[in-house]
Amino acid sequence: MPHTLLEPAEAASTLAVVVASNEPLLFLTEDLVVIAASSSFCRAFAVDPKTVFGRHLKDLGHGEWKMPKLVSLLKTTASGSAEVEAYEIDLVRPDQETRNLVMHAKVLADGQDGPVRLLLAITDVTVARAEARHKDDLIREKAILVKEIQHRVANSLQIIASVLMQSARRVQSEEARGYLQSAHHRVMSIAAVQRQLSGSDGDTVVMRDYLVQLGESLSASMIPDPECLRLTVTVDDSVVPAALSVSMGLIVTELVINALKHAFPEKRQGLIAVDYRSEGTEWTLSVIDDGVGMDTGENAPKAGLGTGIVEALTRNLDAGIVVSDAEPGTAVVISHRGAKTQKEDLPPAA
Amino acid sequence: MKNDRAVVLVVEDDPLIRMGAVDLVMAAGYEALEARDADAAIAILEMRTDIDLVFTDVQMPGTMDGIKLAHYIRERWPPVRIMVASGAAILAESELPMGSLFFSKPYNDTAITDTMARMLAS
Repeated sequence: MPHTLLEPAEAASTLAVVVASNEPLLFLTEDLVVIAASSSFCRAFAVDPKTVFGRHLKDLGHGEWKMPKLVSLLKTTASGSAEVEAYEIDLVRPDQETRNLVMHAKVLADGQDGPVRLLLAITDVTVARAEARHKDDLIREKAILVKEIQHRVANSLQIIASVLMQSARRVQSEEARGYLQSAHHRVMSIAAVQRQLSGSDGDTVVMRDYLVQLGESLSASMIPDPECLRLTVTVDDSVVPAALSVSMGLIVTELVINALKHAFPEKRQGLIAVDYRSEGTEWTLSVIDDGVGMDTGENAPKAGLGTGIVEALTRNLDAGIVVSDAEPGTAVVISHRGAKTQKEDLPPAA
Repeated sequence: MKNDRAVVLVVEDDPLIRMGAVDLVMAAGYEALEARDADAAIAILEMRTDIDLVFTDVQMPGTMDGIKLAHYIRERWPPVRIMVASGAAILAESELPMGSLFFSKPYNDTAITDTMARMLAS
């Protein structure tokens, strides 16, 4: 008669708590005979509540709980030598999907010298695990997709760059060649941002890495004799949104091209210094050369596309541009001073 | 054809990029050969014994990508210099055979021809 094992009456309140538990619970004797099972357990694992009392764990349902590992773990717990904490086990039932379960087992000690009682809590994590796997798959797929897109963008930019450079090599007119080369530099400037982005996780660009790379690229293609003419780039630790860096890169490209075109005639030696620094929302970008300076008055060159690009981008960035005589040379300083609209955003004084 | 000009084989599946690279190589004063994938490149290398440098893309259709091609060339034709370009921004240089150089796309034409000149001089 197995029922006699349960002779010492369990506190009715204990049984009520077990049966009402939202989390599937089994209340067991030391020998793994079921004293009570929560309704949630019976529901979740399709066990008839009427059949559970007094039955051995291994005879529950259709015997699917007869898992040697689980039995030995519970026995160890009952003997007091270990506690089962988050033990994972798969519940395999014929004609049903395998469930991933997490088990917690504990000896119930209420301070009396009563018989040993075990409480086994079972959490079904099948759905959570599947969701986690699905999420991992999505993250992996997204990373692959982003890589693929970056790859395509780089390839498309290469096509544009190749075509522009072929045209530049073919045209007869020096002026036309200059325009095509400038167009090529603009493309390369945007490509450099793309390259910075593909190395970063988010949508931000480390300005120093970007502008230094841009400077190297401009030097390599535009300065035939680095002994004679140098381009230096100094940048603080600023990290800026990608869109802002694209504008900055284009402005630097235009100003450097302009300086190279006009400031150093007849192999004049010199230096072009690019500098960027920021503090909070304020930033300053300067391109200063020690060349021949700008012609003013009658001889001033007509503003070209480059100037137009710089002005449009500067305006768009809500920044001001100051061109001055650097004696010798020209200093172009573009700066953005805090958010002007801030005042309007403040709540009215009470 | 026997002359003093170095011979550069351009391997690239995109027709416009290949055309640009061939033009660049010729403008630098070298003889340019072209192939659209690794198999065509190997066929050319088997026919011509005078190829000094191979400038290859990475992602290409066919049995081999540019990295596999680079290793294959290093094995079969050890003296041939190898330059690799790819749109994948950062490629571990360890993936490439020793002595070969990597460029990310879009590459700077001057950097490519400067490197070619240096490699061909060594």
